[in-house]
Amino acid sequence: MADSLTIRRVSASPDAYIPISALRSAGPTYAKLVDIGACIGCKGCEVACKEWNDLGVEPTANFGSYQSHKDLSPKTWLLMRFNEVEVDGNLNWLIKKDACLHCEEPGCLFACPAPGAIVQYTNGIVDFNQENCIGCQYCVTGCPFDIPRFDVHTRKVSKCNMCVDRVEAGLEPACVKTCPTNAISWGSKHDMLALADKKVETLQSRGFQNAAVYNPAGVGGTHMMYVVPHGDRLSDYSLPTDPTASPAPMTALGFLKRVGAYLMGFGVLGVLGHFLRYGPERLDEDGHDEDDHRGPGPASGHGAVPGPGAFSAPDAPAGPGAAPPVA
Amino acid sequence: MANRLFQRFTFVERIVHWVVGVTFVLLLATGLAFAYPALFWLTALLGGGPSARALHPWVGVVFEVGMLFMIAIWIRDMFLSGTDWRWLAAVRAYATRDSANVPPAGKYNAGQKMFFWVQGALAIVFLVSGVLLWFPASFSAGLLQWMRLAHYAATLGGGLFLIIHVYLGTIAYPGTARAMIDGTVTERWARHHHPGWHEEETRP
Repeated sequence: MADSLTIRRVSASPDAYIPISALRSAGPTYAKLVDIGACIGCKGCEVACKEWNDLGVEPTANFGSYQSHKDLSPKTWLLMRFNEVEVDGNLNWLIKKDACLHCEEPGCLFACPAPGAIVQYTNGIVDFNQENCIGCQYCVTGCPFDIPRFDVHTRKVSKCNMCVDRVEAGLEPACVKTCPTNAISWGSKHDMLALADKKVETLQSRGFQNAAVYNPAGVGGTHMMYVVPHGDRLSDYSLPTDPTASPAPMTALGFLKRVGAYLMGFGVLGVLGHFLRYGPERLDEDGHDEDDHRGPGPASGHGAVPGPGAFSAPDAPAGPGAAPPVA
Repeated sequence: MANRLFQRFTFVERIVHWVVGVTFVLLLATGLAFAYPALFWLTALLGGGPSARALHPWVGVVFEVGMLFMIAIWIRDMFLSGTDWRWLAAVRAYATRDSANVPPAGKYNAGQKMFFWVQGALAIVFLVSGVLLWFPASFSAGLLQWMRLAHYAATLGGGLFLIIHVYLGTIAYPGTARAMIDGTVTERWARHHHPGWHEEETRP
């Protein structure tokens, strides 16, 4: 696909919500399919990810699990989570390949305030451009899968970029390339969905009644999908059951921002209009509004001042707080 | 008639006012830059995107400290009296310069008092939501999304109040702004805008 790096969406721009591809024909998109049942937990994909993306080693310590790291980090974009769960009285490793799912509707991109810091290519890959990142971490709050990680030293966020530099050159991502059991497949989204259906069928024929494809509709589908043997136990895989790209507070925020822009704009115009109608207040010598032709009424406080006449008011006696007369 | 000058704000009051005022404008400008991509260039006020993001919370700290002092020095004057409620009921007369039907104000009119209370309440919203958004790694994404909503709503409220505050304090009422510059106002101004206060100041 020659247009693999054609940009589809750009953060903090009108194109964030109206994909450029809506304006012209879109090519096929890529997808990664992770067959969790076929994973043997070798973590070769983790190593390949670190090597290809030059992410460096983080010292790890045994915390009572076969899992390599406790969590994702700016230097660990891919983590195989070894969730130990009892299924039908047996211990099961419900392994989850924890990395960016490359949502069709990316919550991170919608939440990002920095123009061009997050882009989505027409091929479906969601990528961070660190040079445009301001380090606000709004993407972290916008991601329904808790994927982006903030680097306190560089003040930038990072995550899996689906080896966009390999994909651009016609290669599969490093994790796909290295997987010894073909648990990770790579191809067009269309082909991967078909393959996923076949894998689910196979699993179901082997007794995994609840086997399912994880391609959540709340984010418009993802470009990394899972074949989940126990589709009824998504939370045991650390997979959100109902992720969404536009949760209630963010939808409300978007609406309020639109209303707010008009309110503030009309607020400025409103006071300028008021100024044109009423102008600067002019006070006569007595402190009365010269433009107020209705004259002082009973509710006016002017009577409190001793003896103010219209033209020949004697100065009120100087009080303790009164400053010296103007020169 | 000689137009004597009255001391309206002390040096300390003016310092506190401008600390809050300048920091609030910086916060509003960079905050709007983060809210509206079309205004992203306003981050230049604090040195560009990453720098503005890093400094915004610290400017916020200065703002909050300023607000704390402001509340401490002014709160005693800001409780609403019976006249103030009548003033609020007559706010239309105030807005249309129908001064004959505006109940006489003391040192502060009810509008200024409301501005004080609203800004005080907004400062609390800014503080709580701002601290959470400053350290997003420590809180859940769902909570932070609500904090973004709250922080923006407070920005909108504060921004609208600021527009009115600046307008009334400058071009609408000439002679008002100097109260926050050299601290004085003319007797003419005092008698018209704050007759109750003028009476107190001139009482023998």
